Parts: sequence; C-alpha cells; structure tokens
Amino acid sequence: MTETVVAPNPLAEGLRMRRPPEPFALTIFGASGDLTQRKLMPALYSLVFRGLLPDAFAILGVSRMEAADDVFREHMRQAVIDHSRDEFREDVWQQLAERLFFVTADVSAAGSEALAARLDELDETHGTSGNRVYYLAVPPKAFGPIVTALGNARKASGWTRLIVEKPFGTDLATGRQLNELVHRYFEEQEIYRIDHYLGKETVQNMLVLRFANGIFEPIWNRQFIDHVQITVAESLGVEGRGDFYDETGAMRDVVQNHMLQLVALTAMEPPIDFEAEAVRNEKVKVLKAMHTPGPKHVARGQYGTGFIEGAPVPGYREEDGVAPDSETETYVAAKLYVDNWRWADTPFYIRTGKRLPRRETTIAIQFKRAPHPPFEVDDEEGLRPNVLLIHIQPDEGVSLAVGAKVPGQGVSIRTVHMDFLYGGAFRVGLPEAYERLILDCLLGDATLFTRADEVEEQWALVDAMLAPWQRDRPHFPNYAAGTWGPHSADELLRRDGRSWRRH
Amino acid sequence: MATSLRELERELTELRAASADPGGPPRMRASVMTHIAWVPEQWVEAATGTLAGLAERHPSRTILLFPRPDDPQDVLEGEVDFRCFVRGGEQREVCSEVISLRLCGRRAAAPASVVTPLLVSDLPVFLRWRGPLPFGASELDQLVEVADRLIVDSREWPDARADLARLAELFDRIAVSDIAWARTQRWRAAVSDLWPDVAEASVLKVAGPFMEALLLQSWLGARLRRDVRLEHQPAGEIELVEVDSRAAHPTRRDAATSSDLLSDQLELFGRERIYEEAVRSFSPQQT
Repeated sequence: MTETVVAPNPLAEGLRMRRPPEPFALTIFGASGDLTQRKLMPALYSLVFRGLLPDAFAILGVSRMEAADDVFREHMRQAVIDHSRDEFREDVWQQLAERLFFVTADVSAAGSEALAARLDELDETHGTSGNRVYYLAVPPKAFGPIVTALGNARKASGWTRLIVEKPFGTDLATGRQLNELVHRYFEEQEIYRIDHYLGKETVQNMLVLRFANGIFEPIWNRQFIDHVQITVAESLGVEGRGDFYDETGAMRDVVQNHMLQLVALTAMEPPIDFEAEAVRNEKVKVLKAMHTPGPKHVARGQYGTGFIEGAPVPGYREEDGVAPDSETETYVAAKLYVDNWRWADTPFYIRTGKRLPRRETTIAIQFKRAPHPPFEVDDEEGLRPNVLLIHIQPDEGVSLAVGAKVPGQGVSIRTVHMDFLYGGAFRVGLPEAYERLILDCLLGDATLFTRADEVEEQWALVDAMLAPWQRDRPHFPNYAAGTWGPHSADELLRRDGRSWRRH
Repeated sequence: MATSLRELERELTELRAASADPGGPPRMRASVMTHIAWVPEQWVEAATGTLAGLAERHPSRTILLFPRPDDPQDVLEGEVDFRCFVRGGEQREVCSEVISLRLCGRRAAAPASVVTPLLVSDLPVFLRWRGPLPFGASELDQLVEVADRLIVDSREWPDARADLARLAELFDRIAVSDIAWARTQRWRAAVSDLWPDVAEASVLKVAGPFMEALLLQSWLGARLRRDVRLEHQPAGEIELVEVDSRAAHPTRRDAATSSDLLSDQLELFGRERIYEEAVRSFSPQQT
C-alpha cells in the first residue's frame, strides 16, 4: 500500500500564531470543588477570552452535587466573576457556557457507560473527535478508583490525557504504587502531574535568566555562590482545610513538590533544548544528587496564637478540623546539598511555613564576598554580600543587591537593590499558572509537568527527612503566628555562620 | 518656545524625581525600547490617539517628531512628559517618557542629529513613520540608519502599488513592519487552514481595503509560486476572503484598535521574511 504524502503547508510559514489545541472534551472530576471554582474555571475562561481554545471543545463537570447543566453553569459563572483575572464579558462567557455540561456522579461513575455515552454525544454535537482530557481535581483516595475505571474504559479513537493534582502519594511507597497503577493503563507521556509552581512565569523566567544570559552561568556554581535560600512563606493558616492539612503537613504539602522543584530548577545543568524530556532529565539528575546531612539539619515547627496584620489569630491546634494535640508541622526548614561537581559543599537552605509574617516566595542566590575589598573596615559596615533575588510571588521579578558608594566625602559603602519587576517591563498581565498548564496539556507539551521518576526521587528525599520525626516527639507549638518560624530554624543557619535573609 | 535637548533631559529628570513617593527613593527606569514617531502635520491627531493607548503598555522613551519645515524659524520646540500607570490595583507600575519635538525650519532636515542623543542606550529603536514614505528623502534615510525597525501602515499610502514596489529597497537596511499586513494575519491563517485544497489556487476574492487585498494576493502568489488573480470589492475592513470560491473562516477576534496593532509591532524584532517575499514579488502588472 502506498502512503499519501502531504506536502508541507507553505501558507503556514511566518504566521506568528500559536498552534491551537486539537478539538477535545475535558472532564473535570471534582467539579463542585474549590479548585475548580477558584482556578480551573477562571483559567478556562481566560483561555477563551484570549481565543486560545479551538472552536470544537466541551467541558464536562462531574461531581456528587445534584445539579442540572444550567445550575452548574450558573455556579461556574459566579466563580469566573469572583476569581478571573480578566474582566467578565457576557459574550466570552457564552462561548464557554454553551460548551459546559454537568453530570451528577461519584467516582465509581468514572468509567461508566453513562459518562462514556455523554462524552460520545459531545463528540457528535461538539466535534470533539474522541480526544479526552481527564482532570482529577479530587482527594487522593479517589485517584485509584478513577484511574482504574478510566483505564478500563479507554476508547480506541482519539488521544487521552490525564491531569493529576498533588499530592501524588503520601510517601515513596505509595507514590510508586500510584505510578504503577497509572502506568498500567496510561503511557507516561499521557500523564500530566501538575505542580502549579512550574506554571508560574517567574519560575520559567529563572531558566531564561540562567540560560539566556551569558553573565550568570559562569558564576552559577560553588566557586562564586556561598549558598542559596529558598523561602515559600504564607501568612494564611489552614483556611478551612484543617482535616486535609492535619494529615499532610508542610513537608508533604509544600517541600515534597514546590520546594524541591525550585531547588532542582535552581541547580540543574543546562538542558540541550526546552523539550519536556530534556528539561526533566536534568531536573531528575539534581533530585538524585540531593541529600540532607542529617536530622539536626531539618527543623520543624507549628504555630501558636499570634497576630497577623495586627489582628489576633488562633494557634494551629485551635483551627477547625485539627486535633487539639496535633503534632503536624506547619513549618519546615532544612539544609540540603546537591552532590555534584557544580554544587558540592554549597548549602541550599529551604524554609516554608504557614502564618509567617507575609506571603512571599523567593529564591535568593547569595554570592561570596569580595576577597579583599581595599576599604577601611568602618566604611564597609553597610556592605552585605551580593544577592540575586528571584521573586516568584507576589511581586514577580528579579533584583540584585550591589555595594555602592554613598555620595560625599570619603568612602562609605551601602547595599542598594537594582530591581526588575515584571509588571514594570512588559505590558501583558502575567497568566495564571493554571492557564499555562491547562493549555500546555491540551497541546501535548509536558515540559512543565512532573515526571514519575521526579516524583519518586522527591518522595525518597522527603522520607529520609521524615524518618527521624517518627522517633522524636516535638514540643509544639514552637513559634507564634506572625513570626518567621521556630528558633531551631535560625539555629540551623547560625551553626554555619549564616542567617536567614532580613525582611 | 525654543528649547534644547539638554533642557528637555533636565526636565525629564525633575519629573521622574517628582513622581517618587515623598521621602522615597527615585523611581527606577525599566525601559524596553526607544520609540520614535515621525508625524507630519496631517497625522498629528491620529498619532496622538494611538499613543494614548500605547504608553501604559510599553515602558519606553517615546520621541514624537513633528516636522515643520516651512516654519520661518530654525528652532527646536518641545515638551516632556513622564507618566506611570498602576495596573489592576497591583503594586506594579509601567513608566513611560514622552518627548515631543517640533522640528522647525531647517531643523526638520536633520532629524537623526536630534534623536540620536535621546536614544536609550543598548535598547532597540522602533521608528513609526506616519503617512506615505518619502523614498529617497534625506529625513527617511537618516532615521532608517538610527532605527532597528521601521513600522508603516501601507493603508495610509495613496499610491499603493508604486509605494509597495519601492518598499523592498529598504529591506536590506532595516526590518520593516506593516500594520496593514498585520491586519491580514488571521485571514492568512484562515487561508492556510484551507491547505492543501488551495495548492492550485488561481483566483482570490477579497472584500476589504484595497491595500490588504493586494497584500493577500501577493502573499498567496508568492507562497504558491503561482499567478493568482485578484477580485476586489471595496470595504472598510476585510469582510470576506475566498480562494477559488472556498471561503476562509478566521477565528473570532475583537476588532483591534490602532494602539493594539502598533503595540503588537513593537514586540517584533527580526525581519518578516514572508512579508518581504510578498512585497518583493509584487508587480504593478499583476491584477
């Protein structure tokens, strides 16, 4: 049989238009949940707002809520009004609403004939061509049954993609089990494990900063960098998620995914290109090389009562859904090493916590001091080491702290910050992480999603840090809400002759 | 009132300092380009309207040049403006500097010597030329030398065929953007979606402005390496494109304002080879 060869389209050349996704039907399990309302539906609205979705698509919400299509649409309309970054426009909403449907069902319906029939019907009425995206916005215990049911009900035509929210397991063993289960039905390239931090513009900008600027890479190593500090701070408490959080804790909720991904992006070698496999290969090498030197180098904490923005707030153990004698950590600080040629003996200090004084995610690269500044000691009092500070949220941008002479007689040196804020240099508003990630999945681009081996390496490291905690009972609470964490976290750096960045 | 570049720079510095919070540090300037606009008398209103929607999108220095060659005095007159726009209630600001200069008398003949001292170092320079291009004129040649990208709107040209034919002379000297070409973008994408059914196309029917129709015709002919006959129906904007009676269906999009169109061009850096190919292949004999 001869194959028909279609000539390349000469008319497509030079069209500066991003390839639109192919037609698709997106099924959201957990459609009445918080994530759908706060993030997913506003993100889908923004994609429609910018004309980034194809004409042929449909979205099918699935949850146990009893509701008809119209009721579901009304809920989602309000969610978009409340949470979208774009102005609400009725014409844009109608484009989305007329492709939005709802099925009342629990997880056991994942592979059911009724659901399959509804999706087949959407293929007919909305031209979605049998292409399926399943978004699992559900609690972890529901993953297994849904994945199994979906796997057993796979269609022969069209492609299938599965988007999975964290946490992907609760330790290395369960993470592996989940990977094995999912791989039983889906190829790795069909699985999109979301870590929404990777969808943030500033996180991606770090790769551009490192690999598109010739000035940074030559000094991005142990010779010039004294240490790295990564902070993921929240001023909020558990905000009604006490049940979930009390079983999870900061280590599993933030360190296992967001923080280790940030360390990996900071420390990785240059990938050969920006394709999914190349980037993820380099990240996983860093994760394999990462270790913490011992239990003394991991600090944990739990907040007690305190003040946030002048208002009194309860301690963690007084929060709804939290056990009154809970030993769950709301704060983690740790020293990590990356054992490779570039980073040997260079500490990466990480810290994350709830009810800290402010919301902030930053990566601070602290360079070594100038070897022999030819100034009087008194003149250098205001001089601190150079720090390249990457702000991930809330004020996305990069700043560099440099020493400068204070104008006037003699030599007096002060540290000044040179700031580049994203909003001050580019006209476009920053897309929400979920917009970018959903669109990437629809386009089949897995670069910003976490691969199975990355997840397992992250769990292996977290398990090693958690193991000593099984033996020692903590003295909680050990930091007041509105402060920068427990004394043991400060001690962790003080032992090394360093301190956390000043705020 | 006559002024000097030094005086204007001093005023800008004062405005920048005055815009800082009381007792706070001076504002940092985060520019991404210098934007020069050459605005003859009859284009002043249109240019001002476009600029009004542009300043808050691009942190830049904009230099508006208003040539007044018939003015009896050989002087520079001008004003400066420094504006910061806070966006969406966020703690972010986009700051833009606007320098408006009237080049009176013989000063209009040497615009490069006026703008060169005002360029922001090491950043790209975009030149928006309002109205028809005076090919061979010294003012155009001078500004082409200092700019990286020339932005025109060929819809503003009275003699479309002749001007398009001469535009190709500039391609090896400066990257060129044409806003009329940008308006055809989604229609070109829609025609591209008709591939391969239009591989042997011979007739292009366009209801829209004549210049856009010409550009679509020359693009299609150049890409397919074929003679394509144009059937044109005048209209204010492109309303219909058919290739051999196959209708092109562009994606939905709101009407772009003149600020949107210029703004998009200010984000391009490289040469537009496909546009150049279309313009180069353009021949006054083709219809």
